Amino acid sequence: MCFNSLFFLFFFSMNNFFFMVYFIMNGLSVFFEWEIVSFNSMSIVMSILLDWMSLLFMMFVSLISSVVIFYSKSYMNSELNLNRFIILVLMFVFSMVLLIISPNLISILLGWDGLGLISYCLVIYYQNLKSYNAGMLTALSNRIGDVMILMVICWVMNYGSWNYIFYMDFMKNDYVMFVVSFMIIIAAMTKSAQIPFSSWLPAAMAAPTPVSALVHSSTLVTAGVYLLIRFNYLLIDMFFFKILLFLSILTMFMSGISANYEFDLKKIIALSTLSQLGLMMSILSLGFPDIAFFHLLTHSMFKALLFMCAGVIIHMMNDIQDIRYMGGLSLYIPLTSLCLNISNLSLCGIPFLSGFYSKDLILEMVSFNSFNLMVFILFYLSTGLTVFYTFRLIMYVMINDFNLMMIYNLYDEDYIMLNSMFVLLFMSLLSGSFLSWFIFSYPYMIYLPFNLKLMVIYVSILGSILGFMVSNMKIYSLNKLLMSYNLSNFLCLMWFMPNLSTYGLSYIYLNFSQILFKNIDMGWSEIYSGKGIFNILKNYSVFYNVYQMNNFKIYLFSFILWFMILFIFFII
Amino acid sequence: MFFFILTNNNSNKMFFLFILFFSTLISISSNSWFGCWIGLEINLLSFIPLISNSKNLLSVETSLKYFLTQSLASINFLFMILIKFSLLKNFDMNNIISIMMNSSLLMKMGSAPFHFWFPNIVEGLSWMNNFMLMTWQKISPMILLSYYFNKNFLIFMIIMNLIIGSLGGLNQTSLRKLLAFSSINNLGWMIFSIMISENLWLFYFLIYSMMIFMMISLFFLMNMYFMNQLFINNMNFFIKMNLLINFLSLGGLPPFMGFMPKWIIINFLLINKFYFLTFIFMMTSLIIIYYYIRIIYSSFMFNYFKMKWMNLFMKNNMFLINLSSFISISSMILSTFIFM
Repeated sequence: MCFNSLFFLFFFSMNNFFFMVYFIMNGLSVFFEWEIVSFNSMSIVMSILLDWMSLLFMMFVSLISSVVIFYSKSYMNSELNLNRFIILVLMFVFSMVLLIISPNLISILLGWDGLGLISYCLVIYYQNLKSYNAGMLTALSNRIGDVMILMVICWVMNYGSWNYIFYMDFMKNDYVMFVVSFMIIIAAMTKSAQIPFSSWLPAAMAAPTPVSALVHSSTLVTAGVYLLIRFNYLLIDMFFFKILLFLSILTMFMSGISANYEFDLKKIIALSTLSQLGLMMSILSLGFPDIAFFHLLTHSMFKALLFMCAGVIIHMMNDIQDIRYMGGLSLYIPLTSLCLNISNLSLCGIPFLSGFYSKDLILEMVSFNSFNLMVFILFYLSTGLTVFYTFRLIMYVMINDFNLMMIYNLYDEDYIMLNSMFVLLFMSLLSGSFLSWFIFSYPYMIYLPFNLKLMVIYVSILGSILGFMVSNMKIYSLNKLLMSYNLSNFLCLMWFMPNLSTYGLSYIYLNFSQILFKNIDMGWSEIYSGKGIFNILKNYSVFYNVYQMNNFKIYLFSFILWFMILFIFFII
Repeated sequence: MFFFILTNNNSNKMFFLFILFFSTLISISSNSWFGCWIGLEINLLSFIPLISNSKNLLSVETSLKYFLTQSLASINFLFMILIKFSLLKNFDMNNIISIMMNSSLLMKMGSAPFHFWFPNIVEGLSWMNNFMLMTWQKISPMILLSYYFNKNFLIFMIIMNLIIGSLGGLNQTSLRKLLAFSSINNLGWMIFSIMISENLWLFYFLIYSMMIFMMISLFFLMNMYFMNQLFINNMNFFIKMNLLINFLSLGGLPPFMGFMPKWIIINFLLINKFYFLTFIFMMTSLIIIYYYIRIIYSSFMFNYFKMKWMNLFMKNNMFLINLSSFISISSMILSTFIFM
C-alpha cells in the first residue's frame, strides 16, 4: 500500500509540475464546470480551476504526502492497521486537493469539512486519553470554521451562484460581501490557528509524527492561508484585514515566546509552525498575497522535513520527546542531523537556503512600505525569537552532552526514513530559488538604507547569542524559570488562552447541567411525571378495587336504586 | 370445528350456540322494540346452558350471577319499552326515558357504571366462553343502543368506561380480569363509534373481535389463566412475539392492526371538536398500553426469564400463531391496497 501510494503521488506531483510550468509560461488557466442541479435562480455546479497557483500547491502537497507515506512505512511499521492509516492519509490528501482546485464554495466546503474530519481521525489515531482530548480540541476548533463557511454559503446565495471568483472584484461595496469577508476571515483563522483559536495546534501534536509532518506543517494549517489568498481581491481594503493583521502579528510573537519555554520537541516545532503561520497571515493582510503564497510553499518543505527528523530522533530515543534527555546527537546521527540543521537554518532565514528567499523578502517588504511602528517591531522581534528558539533547540539536541540515562544505541541507518528525508532536503535547499524564479515574473523593487537592510542579520545574531546563552546549563546555574515563576507561566502557556477556550467554555455549562440534572431530571420531574403519576394511578386503582370487591346483591340493588331515582325524575 | 371448540369440546351444546346466533339476529333485525326484547331474552336463555357445567361449583355460581344481572336488565328494558309506548309518543331521543333504556342496555353489555358483574363472571368462565361473552354478546345491545340513545348520557358513560377500564386493570394479575377491563375500555370506544355511524361501529367491532380472538386463542392453546403462568414455561420466540404484537395491537399502537379503528375514531372526534374527550381517550389508552407492556416486556430483554424443563408443545398450532402475527402487523398496510 505504501509503495503504491508513493509512486502514484510522486507521479502526480511531477505531472503537476510539468503542467504548472506550461501554464505559467503561457499564462494559461483552465476552468472545468459541470452543472449538477439548477433551481430557479441558483445553480449547484462542480467546478475545477487549474491555474498556476493551484497546480503549484498541488505539486507541493502531493510531493510532501508521497514522501510522508513512504516515511510512515518505516515509522509506523509496528502498527497492526497500517492500511487504515494510509487510507486516512490518502483521504486527507484527496480533501486537500479538492480544496485547492475549487473556485466554488460548495466544493471548498467539502474539502474543508473533509480536512477537519480526517485530521480528527488522524489525531486520535493513538487511542489514549491525551489523544482523545487533543482530537476533540482540534475537531471543535475546526468546526467553528466549518460553520463560518456554511454561513458564507448562505450569504453568497444572494448572488446566484457559488463561484466566488467571479464576484470578488465587482461587489466590493456590497453589504453581503462585508459579512462574507468577516466570516471567511474567521474561518481561515480557525483553520490556521490564529490567536483566539490557537490552542489546538500544540495539542494536536498527540498525533503520530507522519501526521504532524503532513497535516500540521504543510497542508491543514495552510488551508486557511490559501483560502485567504484566493479571496484576496475581495478582502484587500476591508477593515477586517487590519484586525487580521493585528491578531496574526500577535500570534507570531506569542508563539515565538512560548516556544522558548517548551521542552517537548514536537511542541517546539508546532509553535514554530504557529509562528510562521502568523507570519504568512500578517504579510497577507498587509496586501502581498503572492509573497504569502511563496512563504507558504517554502515553509511547508522545511517544516515537513523538520518534523520527519524529529520523528527519527523520537524513535531513536525510545519514544522520548523531551529535549532535556537529548544532546550531542550530531556526532552519532550525521545524516539526520544534516537534515535537521538545514531545515532549522532555513527556518531562521540563513542566506540562500529556501527560507531565506521568502522570509527576507517579507521583512524587506515590511520595511520598505510604511507601516506601523508596532508592526515593524513585532516582525523583527519575532524573527529574532525564531532564531532564538531554533538555536536553543540545536544546542539542546545537537551540541550539549547526551542526557539519556541509559546505555543506548543511537543509529541512523533506517534508509527508508532517510531517503524520504533526502527528497525533502533536496527540495528544501532548492525550492526557494526555484519558486522565486517561477512565481515572480519580475522582482520586487526594494530600496532600503544600509542598517535597515542589515536589521535581519542583527536580529538573527542577537537571537542566536541568546539561544546559546540560555541553553548553557551547569550544575550550579540558577533556575531562572523558577525565579520568574508567574511570568514564565504566562509566557509559556500561550498567554493562558487555551484555558479560555477549553476550561472556560465548558465549565459553566457542565456545572449548570449538573445542577439541572440533579434537581429536575432526578428531582421534580420524577414527582410530576415519572413515578409520581404512577403512584397516583396506583392509588386510584387500589381505591377502585375497594368498590369492585363487593357483595353481588349490592350491585343489583344499586342498579335498582339508580332506576328508582331516574323514575322519580321521570315522574316529576 | 371452530364451533366445536367454542362449546368447550362438548357437541351437545352446539344446539345452544346456534340459538345464540339466531337470537342476536332476531334482536337486531326486528322492527319493533318488543322483538328486540324477545331476542335479548332468547340470548340470555341460550347462553346460560353454554356456560353452566354442573360438575363445577364455580361455573354454576357464575351462570347464576350472569342470569340474575341479565334478567334484571331485561326486565327493566321491557318496562321502559312499555312506558315509552304507552306514555311518550315522541321520537325525540334526548330525554329521561332514553336514559333509562340506555342504562338497561348498558347493564346488559357490561359497561360502566353497571359493570361490576363483568370481571366477576369473566373470572369464572373458560376462555372460549369468555370470547363469546366479550364479543358476541355485545352485538345486540350495541345495535339496540344505536337506535335510541341519549347523547349527553352516553358521553358521560363513555368517560366512565374509559377511566374504569384503564384504572381497574392496573392492579390485576388474572389474565381474564385484565381482558375484561380492557373490554370495558374498548366498550367506551365502541359506544362513541355508535354515536358517529353504525358502519364505523361495525368496523371497530370486527377488528376488536379479531384481536380478542387472537389473544384468547393463544391463551387457550397455552391454557394460561394467570400472569404468573406466562413465563413459567419455555415459550419460544414466535409465541412471545405474537403475544407482544397482539397486546400492542389491542392497545392501539400504530403499525399494528388495532391502531386503524382508533385512528378513525380520533379523526371523527377532532373533526367534531370533542377536544376534551379526545384527551381522555388518549390518556386512558396510555394507561392500558402501560399495563399490557408491563406483562410482556421483560421477556424481550437480554436476560429474560426462561425455564428449562417445562416445554410448551405448540408445534401443531404454530401456523395459527404465525398467521395471527402476520395479520396484526400487516393489516394496516394491506388495507390500503383494498380500496385501490
